[in-house]
Amino acid sequence: MALVHKLLNGSYILRKGLKPSVAACPFLSTRSADYCSSSLQKPVATPGKASTQRTAAGGLQEDQREVALDIPSPEEKPEVSFDKAIKDEIKEHFRRLKDEIVNHWIGPEGRPLQEIILEQARVVWQFRGKEDLDKWIVTSDKTIGGKSEVFLKMGKNNQSALLYGTLSSAAPQDGENSQSGYCAMISRIPRGAFERKKSYDWSQFNTLYLRVRGDGRPWMVNIREDTDIIQKTNQMYSYFMFTRGGPYWQEVKIPFSKFFFSNQGRIRDAQFQLLLDKISSIGFTLADKVDGPFFLEIDFIGVFADPAHTEEFAYENSPVLNPRLFK
Amino acid sequence: MSPLSALSLRLCCHPPGTGVMPNKETEFLLVQIFGRKSYPMLKFVRMKLWFSRFKNINPFPVPRDLPKDPVDLAVLGLRHIEPDLSARVTVYQTASSKDSTGTADPTQQHIVGIQSPDQQAALARHNPARPIFVEGPFSLWLRDRCVYYHILRADLVPPEEREVEEIPEEWNLYYPIQLDLKYGRGGWDDYEFDIDEVEEGPVFAMCMAGAHDQATLAKWIQGLQETNPALAQIPVIFRLTGSSGELLASSSGLEEPSPPPPQEQEEEEDHTQRQQQGQS
Repeated sequence: MALVHKLLNGSYILRKGLKPSVAACPFLSTRSADYCSSSLQKPVATPGKASTQRTAAGGLQEDQREVALDIPSPEEKPEVSFDKAIKDEIKEHFRRLKDEIVNHWIGPEGRPLQEIILEQARVVWQFRGKEDLDKWIVTSDKTIGGKSEVFLKMGKNNQSALLYGTLSSAAPQDGENSQSGYCAMISRIPRGAFERKKSYDWSQFNTLYLRVRGDGRPWMVNIREDTDIIQKTNQMYSYFMFTRGGPYWQEVKIPFSKFFFSNQGRIRDAQFQLLLDKISSIGFTLADKVDGPFFLEIDFIGVFADPAHTEEFAYENSPVLNPRLFK
Repeated sequence: MSPLSALSLRLCCHPPGTGVMPNKETEFLLVQIFGRKSYPMLKFVRMKLWFSRFKNINPFPVPRDLPKDPVDLAVLGLRHIEPDLSARVTVYQTASSKDSTGTADPTQQHIVGIQSPDQQAALARHNPARPIFVEGPFSLWLRDRCVYYHILRADLVPPEEREVEEIPEEWNLYYPIQLDLKYGRGGWDDYEFDIDEVEEGPVFAMCMAGAHDQATLAKWIQGLQETNPALAQIPVIFRLTGSSGELLASSSGLEEPSPPPPQEQEEEEDHTQRQQQGQS
């Protein structure tokens, strides 16, 4: 079934030439069977309870990745060969399975145990080549009929990734959305052999570190946990990232205790801290209701253990809003 | 939920965009009209809670009422992006006063520049054999206004030619002149990331101008020359992208010989022409 999904995705074209950006809803096949597809059309378009940002894009995982045009030259036409593609896929999956089994003997995630235990700063996503861009999906409100555009490409000298586009808060005239205007960049869920979902384990770290260069717009960082429980697909933890603008690189350190919980795009009254042992993806959203072009250059994304940060969770639950928690 | 409370909830939804904090009068009115346990009251409590939590989380706050004068806005923007507080802002040229027909003279746009003493020293030390570039325009958003700025920077010096910094002798034994405090608690702590950070050449000055064409920027360079006499010997190349005026979709000053993204075009100027401008 995973192979069928891959074929639909078009990724079998011998890894040359452009990947067709067909919105073929590939994630339908990888989710469990009872998850209905209607949720893909209608994102959580209602505004969050008190946030000035819209958390709508985090709920969507459409494959409308708009990477800058990668037009193949006329000489190298991609050769499409069905059997060879299937063989390649099978080989790739068995290779991944072999890697997983072998890595288990070396240590967690294929690195020796003492390295993992003593690690205090880890680079999770870096942008040094085109294959690093493939780990991200870029969405905008075009999926609900809006007019924002967003593109992702490599920056100067292949040293950073540039996310740029135009935000337009013109509401789509479809009678059900009154507000619009968001763009998002979401990381793909890490996959193991046979497209099994894997997750990140950041339990020894406590701060998220981003080296970015923005244009003064406020972004929202969303972290989603592993979807082993079906309700978790709509839940995410978010916080704001304020960019300064200017030509200097900006280091943004957000401790994980500051992330607030939201479900279906609304901030919930019952807040709990983000547990770091099964993180599946991270995303950046821009929805600040200001029309115009934007850009965000990202150097790398890492996590580290800040020894000066001892807070466990930044938000208390209030007995007025949650009387049941305080019985 | 009754239609009345639904309507009032929708009215209450407006404040999240405008940054309005609910206050005691609203609470009193809501209690009187809807009651203490009603949905609008719940929304009020939530708004009060979350807005007060997120009121001051912006480490780079921008005042709510942006100045209308473009020169003031440029000063605010330049101070916003320059982290060095000892940097000096100079207004090289203010926009000319409008004449009787009400249209501003297009050749007399405002030019505001900023430079910190460290940047001035770096420019004085810069090798005249290497050219420096005027790159831009880059966009900066202050709340809902977009301004464009240009930067004067040099390319990264390759490691062979980098001059080794001499460590001066300790002339005072009572306290250290150079203190290199590491973040770690001991030898086992290592908070460095295992990646080479992007290194870019030094930035020497920044400016915001009304027009993005070469003539205005040349005037800025001439103005900079007064405080940086070394600038007269250094060739300046203008790497400007896009046409002037309109909002650009892609604002990264790349030099791409292969098919560039649609809005980018480049202008390069030879340094001899620039020197002629300097002498005239």
